[in-house]
Amino acid sequence: MDHFPTNWGRPRAEGFDAYATHPIHQRPSNTPRDAFSAGVQRTQQPIVTGTSVLALKYKDGIMMAADNLASYGSLARFKDVHRLQAVGTNTIVGAGGDMSDFQYIQRMLDELVIDEFTAQDGHSLGPAEIHEYLSQVMYARRSKMNPLWNSLLVGGFTDGKKFLAYVDLLGTTYSATTLATGYGSMIAQPLLRKAVEGREDVLTEEEARKIIQECMRVLYYRDARSLDKYQVATVTAEGVKISDSLYLETSWSFAEGIRGYGAQTQ
Amino acid sequence: MTQQPQQHAFNPYTENGGTILAIAGADFTVIAGDTRQSEGYSIQTRYAPKVFKLTDKAVLAVNGFAADGNMFVKKVKQRLEWYRHAHAKDMPIRSIARLIQTMLYARRFFPYYVYNILGGIEEDGTGAVYSFDPVGSYEREACRAAGAAQALVQPFLDNQIYFKNQTPAPGTVFPQHLPLSTVLEIVIDSFTGATERHIEVGDGLEMYVVLSKNSNALQGLRADAHSFQEVTSTADGERVFVIRRDLKKD
Amino acid sequence: MNSLVQRFSTSSSTPLAALHKAAKVVTEEDDDFSDAAWGSEAGFGNIAKGVPSFAVPAVADPTAFLRLHTDDHADPSCRIKIQHGTTTLAFRFKGGVIVAVDSRATAGSYIASGTVKKVIEINPYLLGTMAGGAADCQYWETYLGMHCRLHELRNKERISVSAASKFLSNLVYSYKGMGLSMGTMICGWDKTGPSIFYVDSDGTRLKGDLFSVGSGSTFAYGVLDQGYHWDLTDEEAQELGRRSIYAAGHRDAFSGNTVNLYHVKEHGWEFIGNYDVNKLHYDGPGNVAGSPGHGYGYDIRVEGLSSANPPVAAAA
Repeated sequence: MDHFPTNWGRPRAEGFDAYATHPIHQRPSNTPRDAFSAGVQRTQQPIVTGTSVLALKYKDGIMMAADNLASYGSLARFKDVHRLQAVGTNTIVGAGGDMSDFQYIQRMLDELVIDEFTAQDGHSLGPAEIHEYLSQVMYARRSKMNPLWNSLLVGGFTDGKKFLAYVDLLGTTYSATTLATGYGSMIAQPLLRKAVEGREDVLTEEEARKIIQECMRVLYYRDARSLDKYQVATVTAEGVKISDSLYLETSWSFAEGIRGYGAQTQ
Repeated sequence: MTQQPQQHAFNPYTENGGTILAIAGADFTVIAGDTRQSEGYSIQTRYAPKVFKLTDKAVLAVNGFAADGNMFVKKVKQRLEWYRHAHAKDMPIRSIARLIQTMLYARRFFPYYVYNILGGIEEDGTGAVYSFDPVGSYEREACRAAGAAQALVQPFLDNQIYFKNQTPAPGTVFPQHLPLSTVLEIVIDSFTGATERHIEVGDGLEMYVVLSKNSNALQGLRADAHSFQEVTSTADGERVFVIRRDLKKD
Repeated sequence: MNSLVQRFSTSSSTPLAALHKAAKVVTEEDDDFSDAAWGSEAGFGNIAKGVPSFAVPAVADPTAFLRLHTDDHADPSCRIKIQHGTTTLAFRFKGGVIVAVDSRATAGSYIASGTVKKVIEINPYLLGTMAGGAADCQYWETYLGMHCRLHELRNKERISVSAASKFLSNLVYSYKGMGLSMGTMICGWDKTGPSIFYVDSDGTRLKGDLFSVGSGSTFAYGVLDQGYHWDLTDEEAQELGRRSIYAAGHRDAFSGNTVNLYHVKEHGWEFIGNYDVNKLHYDGPGNVAGSPGHGYGYDIRVEGLSSANPPVAAAA
């Protein structure tokens, strides 16, 4: 504790008493200054990581996409990783962040679904329940200062209602008609909002696919940790469908004409 | 003091923006919050409620770190339900206020990063607002703003509710309590103003109105002025309404 | 309560073991409520089990964690702002104890509140003052009130001010080093007459006739020392308390708004009044006992004499 009662109620940082209005004694400086960012060193961190996950609501349900890359730092280490997982019959979970933590989450979800099935009590877990479960797990782990280093999207379709929500390593949750994690939240989310908001009940599957594909392409152009190989999942009244891997058509020829973009010879 | 690097130094907190406020009237209370949730410059969603009905006499607004806020509301509701099972009645608001203090203080060494404002009706039928700091110090007030735009909104409330820096016209005095219609106008103006000047405020506005038993605060309100949605759940006499409005989305 | 300190004392366990124990604490928070929590005791928050228990973050140094994220006295870069109290005073005289405080709470340079009750009414005979962390003072002095009542029930007599203050000082001492911040004066009247004990979160406990605590304390002491003597009448003493807090509110940026004045007499404390510091400056306390009949500010004493307010003849 600060032993000088004259300090109580006054700012701790020296910069805040620029005019030395209080000449009584030297006030101790209890830095660090920026407590939230500079003072914190991460000793625990993600290792093998996945990048963005995108999702939107459309006429028949929800659509979600993620590429097949798991990076090891800047190395494109694993190029056939599945980051979308079906949970039960009408829920899809997509993950960005640490892939080992995601595998752990997958095991938990599998166990959860099996337990629920074994009970045979007429109940089944829908997307809202899966999301609630995941957010409790994520929040509990952050509270133990041992987070599961992921951003997750949960999408689903039950009783004619679409469900789409987010949860991350801090336990933060929210839902919206379009969602994106990681770089996608900065690059793809504005595109998704422009294309989807207000039209979520009229967009056809075909239109939705086109939007998703375009967003994945823009991401591939700008996100250095992304891949042109990705999967798209849909959840509709018919259940969950996860596509085989798809490939993005890209054209890099424009780079030639732009100085400072590609390898320049002069 | 030597600062050693922390073992697992993972930062368990973030800040999700938004602003909340509450104003107590003679026999009603208005508790409001915007619905934007953000992190840094990103808007996460345009609709994430920050104001929650606890009982027919008490409404809680939470602001700060959204995950802590949601968890805290969940735990308060759980305690209130236990109380209902034990006593077959709703906990009075002054007791809820003390409960919230002890629950926040239980996390004195690992705080909930949440600013709470509790509004509702006291047992004597008067409007009440209780405001809390993150570790549980609290005070009953007539009005309070908290959150991102606290420093923009509170001075406005000081001026409009407490008549600070105003002089009454000769031969008149300032009213002790304002009518509901005036309070609602002040709340709406506070949020439209905060939306104009603060990037973390906007999208939508949710205002809860709690009326005391036999309150006639609703009289004199133009029927078409606000779309009241009643959410009262018991027959105790107090009534709760929600009013939802749009705020600018840019 | 001591268990918390033991949990983190470095002498008794290895850092790894301490870490392990700390990790356990977080899960303890709400896992094991007694059955009582379902009944009438559900309202008691973290004291449902009788003794309060606290969640502690699972890190090697929980105190450093707390210091990083909260401000022990209003670091503007910390996001979790804890309200802080600022000027408080109490003194003993033949007519009892005068307790006077300001009402400003600051978070950095923002005035978070101007209507804080910094005198905590522990029971009809005991007052505590609030400086430092507002929640720390409110919570622990309320808790002290519960134990004072238990003392009455067990011993069929009121607790002495000395015993009450010692309970509080032992209590906060058991949390020493964990970041509590409080500087309080426990004031009351018991068998020995009026008495004041200063207690702070270091564990310091001092008996005395006159104390002032907080950022404005030096200003308050200036006025207090100058006007204090044992044989003050009640009116003079109340005026001295009021005048001292006004001085702090006037000169210390982190104190002000209003003055709350209490007088502890043989049959318990009495609330004397609430006075706006700005009004005190210009108009004085109004028609109350001990009032000088004019504002405390010195404008009235330089009327027509200073260059800013020149004699009427010169102005013309």
